[in-house]
Amino acid sequence: MTDTTTIVDRIAMGLSGALFVLGIVVMGVLELLAGKPYSPAALTNDAGEVIATPLIDPTLRTGLVIAALVVLAVWGAYKLVTPMAADAADRAETPAD
Amino acid sequence: MATNTANPLATDFELDLDGPLTSYWLALLRVITGWWFFHSGVTKLVEDGLAYSYGPMYMQEMTGTALGPIPVWMGNNLAWLIAPGVPLFETLIGLALMAGLLTRLASIGGVTFMTLFWIGNAEFGHGLVNSDLMGLLLFMTVLVLGAGRYYGLDAIVEQTKLVQRHPKLRYILG
Repeated sequence: MTDTTTIVDRIAMGLSGALFVLGIVVMGVLELLAGKPYSPAALTNDAGEVIATPLIDPTLRTGLVIAALVVLAVWGAYKLVTPMAADAADRAETPAD
Repeated sequence: MATNTANPLATDFELDLDGPLTSYWLALLRVITGWWFFHSGVTKLVEDGLAYSYGPMYMQEMTGTALGPIPVWMGNNLAWLIAPGVPLFETLIGLALMAGLLTRLASIGGVTFMTLFWIGNAEFGHGLVNSDLMGLLLFMTVLVLGAGRYYGLDAIVEQTKLVQRHPKLRYILG
């Protein structure tokens, strides 16, 4: 198999992957370690009073995932406006290109 | 499944070597994801027509999210587009996925919808990874794998001379 990935492809995949994992997994582990609430939602008692708030604001975590999606979207737009690799046009039968 | 022996952690592999099971599963995944959106869209069309007023209201209430003021602004200023757009685009995205036509373009639409639902519903009581995010990942998977090539019309469209002449069209087909 010929590797047609460029430095831009690698940066896009690496950066978006890192943002996904940071926002979802790494910060999720930190929240677990910090104790209740184990999820990014405030814990309330029967009276509806907030008794514990998440360590990390869910806005930050969801923001990181959105940033990852934006990186992928920008990458896609970049691929649209740059010339295709010489052999890429023959890869219609390849599932993931 | 062929792997890169030089680097055991390398990600290059060929799904087609896994044979018919891969094709079958990708097609099934695509059709069920499509049905999910089609059902959601067409039931809104039946009940509210092109005046789905809950759409703009929903976005107006999306304050304090990672998307900043964007959804609220959209809810306030693009109601004319959102009210008919939600049921219409959900239906069209679903149809496109079920038929496997313009699969990647439709999946981009699905990712956009699911991002808004994931952020807007904010049902994080059991963690950040919830059913909304799973829906988003389903569309991403269909998009990345170009699942329209498996028992979908994109397999035929991609063989046309137009696509052969303009291979970049595969970025919205597949």
